[in-house]
Amino acid sequence: MNQIPDPLTIGGTTFTSRLMLGTGKYHDFGLMQAALEASGTQIVTVAIRRVELKAPGHDGLLDALNLDQFQLLPNTAGCRTAEEAVRVAKLARAATGVSWLKLEVIPDPKFLLPDPIGTLRAAEILVGEGFTVLPYVQADAVLARLLEAAGCATVMPLASPIGTGKGLRSPELIRTVLDGAGVPVVVDAGLGVPSDAAQALELGAAAVLVNTAIAEADDPVAMAQAFALGVQAGRLAYLAGRMTSRDSASPSSPVSGVVRLPDPELVDG
Amino acid sequence: MQVNGEPHPYTPSLTLHQLLQQLAVAPDRVAIAVNDDFYAGGQAPDCELAAEDVVEIVRVIGGG
Repeated sequence: MNQIPDPLTIGGTTFTSRLMLGTGKYHDFGLMQAALEASGTQIVTVAIRRVELKAPGHDGLLDALNLDQFQLLPNTAGCRTAEEAVRVAKLARAATGVSWLKLEVIPDPKFLLPDPIGTLRAAEILVGEGFTVLPYVQADAVLARLLEAAGCATVMPLASPIGTGKGLRSPELIRTVLDGAGVPVVVDAGLGVPSDAAQALELGAAAVLVNTAIAEADDPVAMAQAFALGVQAGRLAYLAGRMTSRDSASPSSPVSGVVRLPDPELVDG
Repeated sequence: MQVNGEPHPYTPSLTLHQLLQQLAVAPDRVAIAVNDDFYAGGQAPDCELAAEDVVEIVRVIGGG
């Protein structure tokens, strides 16, 4: 079973893959390209940085990506305030020609946790400017609804802090974001292994975004494929509908007709 | 004037294209902001710059 049975629609565009990939931290472009290919991803994030002035030519990431194959998703990584994020968003649109944006407003360098108020403020501005906004947030259901009402195309709650690989630390909070969400919920950041991705999809997340777990694997290409399988497994399990969990055991074999040792009273008689 | 966060010596009648040449920046695959105007590098106008202008020149790199 290689076919995802149901498409994912974000901002009016339909995708068959539910695995988004980052393009950071790869050893080289060749490895990145091979990992993207193995993952089957259709949405890839990129970052925007100042050019080094008076430095000789730059390796062009955009030249290394088949832009017909991928929906580019520029991010505002590194922005600490709504104002910085809005400025970087406009530079990103000018640099890439696409209006999709992974909105990150992160004042805290240690845990890279997003500023909910700045994120909402930037989202309102950017939606008004015609951007398709995918905001990176903590798993906060109230904030998610506010972002949805502001016109965001998704919400992207974090599993655990960026680059930690600790997996879903607050599945109950993710569940509250998923409950009644009107836009796709994409679990982003902190996923470490494919079972983390499967767990997110099993809960009902529409997709996941992975970078470090693949780029820092010993074999990024194999790990990209493993994440693709984890995402497929999780999605199929979600659609299949999980059993109800119980506190006590329930035998899988019939309880009647079990062979017992002879009853001594019957034998003696 | 300020370019990518650093002070840059201003010369009267300096244009944006001249600035890019001075800085050895190829306009393809970059984006440029002059104050609050944003351009794809290849479409940036050859406008005259002012001493108080703030210029940003960025490119796309790998990231999550």
